[in-house]
Amino acid sequence: MAKPKIGVYSLTGCAGDQLMILNLEDELLSLLGNVEIVAFQEASSVQKDEEVDIALVEGSVSTKTDLKRLEEIRKKSKLLIAIGDCAIGGCVQAMRNQEMTMIEKMRKVYGKEEDYFKVLEPYGLSKYVNVDLELPGCPIEKTEIRQVFLSLLHGDLPEIKDYPVCVECKLNEYQCLLVDKGMPCLGPITVAGCDARCPSLGIDCVGCRGPIKDETNAAEELHTLKEKGYDERYIENRLRFFGANFEGIAKLSKMLREKTGGKGGK
Amino acid sequence: MSKEIVVEHVTRVEGHGGIEVTVEGQKVKDIKMNVFEGPRFFESFIEGVKYDKVPDVMRRICAICTAAHSLASIRTIEKAFKVEVTPQTTLLRDLLIHGEMVESHALHVFMLALPDYLGYPDAISMVDKYAKEVKAALQLKKAGNMIHITLSGREVHGMNERVGGFSTIPKEEDLLTIKKAMEASKATAELAVNLFSSLDIPNSAYSDNTLMALDPGNKFGYIGDYVLISNGERRRVEEYKQLTNEKVVKHSHAKHSSYKGSPFMVGALPRVLLCKDKLYGTTKELFNEHEDKLDPKNSLNNNLAQAIELVHCVDRCIEDIDKLLSSGLEKEELAEIELRESSAVGAVEAPRGILYHNYSFDESGCITKANVITPTALNWANIEKDFRVAAERLLAERKENLEAPLELIARAYDPCISCSVHLVKVKFL
Repeated sequence: MAKPKIGVYSLTGCAGDQLMILNLEDELLSLLGNVEIVAFQEASSVQKDEEVDIALVEGSVSTKTDLKRLEEIRKKSKLLIAIGDCAIGGCVQAMRNQEMTMIEKMRKVYGKEEDYFKVLEPYGLSKYVNVDLELPGCPIEKTEIRQVFLSLLHGDLPEIKDYPVCVECKLNEYQCLLVDKGMPCLGPITVAGCDARCPSLGIDCVGCRGPIKDETNAAEELHTLKEKGYDERYIENRLRFFGANFEGIAKLSKMLREKTGGKGGK
Repeated sequence: MSKEIVVEHVTRVEGHGGIEVTVEGQKVKDIKMNVFEGPRFFESFIEGVKYDKVPDVMRRICAICTAAHSLASIRTIEKAFKVEVTPQTTLLRDLLIHGEMVESHALHVFMLALPDYLGYPDAISMVDKYAKEVKAALQLKKAGNMIHITLSGREVHGMNERVGGFSTIPKEEDLLTIKKAMEASKATAELAVNLFSSLDIPNSAYSDNTLMALDPGNKFGYIGDYVLISNGERRRVEEYKQLTNEKVVKHSHAKHSSYKGSPFMVGALPRVLLCKDKLYGTTKELFNEHEDKLDPKNSLNNNLAQAIELVHCVDRCIEDIDKLLSSGLEKEELAEIELRESSAVGAVEAPRGILYHNYSFDESGCITKANVITPTALNWANIEKDFRVAAERLLAERKENLEAPLELIARAYDPCISCSVHLVKVKFL
């Protein structure tokens, strides 16, 4: 049987999801030995412009060039898998979407409004093309990307978790940082799969795997954190780090902006 | 007649960029460094965010230098609020930044830079002939990542290092496991030095280089508050704007950094040369043995300098772990923070050179202004200078293929394009 052809592509982001594949130090050689790599920009000079069975795409669509490349990748791949938050919801660079225009951002960083980049407001891939699977995380988990490779080699699609980090916290019997310690934990609305890594270290979840699609009760999270003494602007910023493009958070955020917010501190 | 030499997509670097050199006759008319990576505007969207989560966001500027960004960010915040940390925290941070250097340099030296010199497209294809070496390189990289995992929480975008200390103190047995991995990989780090010191390094970019590196104090290292310059000056990091002078220049679309009118270089080569008296142990011996191959005028020697640093970093990780274990690890609370309106500059050496963060805060501890200057942005003007020199030299030698030698030069800087927050004023063609 011919080895499946795989392309690893990168749009605007930190290249951390490609790096997580390279971080599979113990399995990298055997994993890559079972597939044919057609493109993997961070690791190889091989860049064939041919059809692939599976395209793994990291990064957000943040420029017209990104969009053009994404459309080309979609055309030449049988399966397109979005790897990492950037490719799903835009990640941190989307934090001020709907809140600040691209022109304002450019003025702040470059002092001018000239658009050198043909920028677009950052979004994930599914805003523009059909995506077959989304693998969350900032960055993706090694265990999950390994599972993606293994499942696909067996002809299956891997299962992606649809429950919150809280479930993993409870299974590990960690102390609840939100209820017991009053920390601004986003565990209740964040996709599991990290085995509650931050709470295991005593750190409140910052939401880096993104909100659970269609099931994020952002209003309840806001209400709970307000009860713990955090001001609305602080909570809103927290929710937006990794969730600004998600419907529940965007709606809540819009509602808050229509009122007068706090200064951002507790 | 003019022609264009285009390296459409520089591979084996972090992020995307391309190089476009326009040649007229024997002269380089124009050089364009195209960055396909969209801008992410970190400095704009971080405004209004409270200090406590600022490092968690800012470290996401870059994956491969994630701890460098997080430590630069933490350092800036702690300077702004005058936070003192414990000796244990200082030591753990030293271990973290050295561990990151191991991971990043192992990846760059063996997997990104070496394939060029051995004639392969990547390290994976080297396996048939060099299986043992590639596997050893991966184990060395893994040893560096073990430090990321144990101290920071994971390989990329960890979270355990906080403003004021570490949230959870690592376990002694985990540090012992890392020590063993480092000891087992020391020979691989030395192999990197042997390999790169025996290679025939092209000198097409041979030209004057001004060097800059942070002054680590008495011993070689990567954290400091002063900048050493090859003209003998020593300046405070707070003067970073005068030291970098970012501006737009006519002949290029990339923003140029310069000092006293010249571009300058940051990274491993400047570090080992400016701080050679601070090297010690095996690293010092290796440096002395190969000093003649570390000519500052050839930027490609940065690869050998990284290899030498690999040996330093492996030794230093072992040394730091021994110190931590002999004094015994203690559970510590994060330092108390007293918020006030203030601003500060913090710098560390990322694997590819000096990294500056500069923040201002209001009285509630929220960011009012942020500025980040990354090493790749600092190096950009120097890379362009090297391209100009190399292209004209190669044209004079009637070389047909200019793409490969130019890409080799760019790669020697270990550029991290995704991390170059705002190095560019680029026009896409």
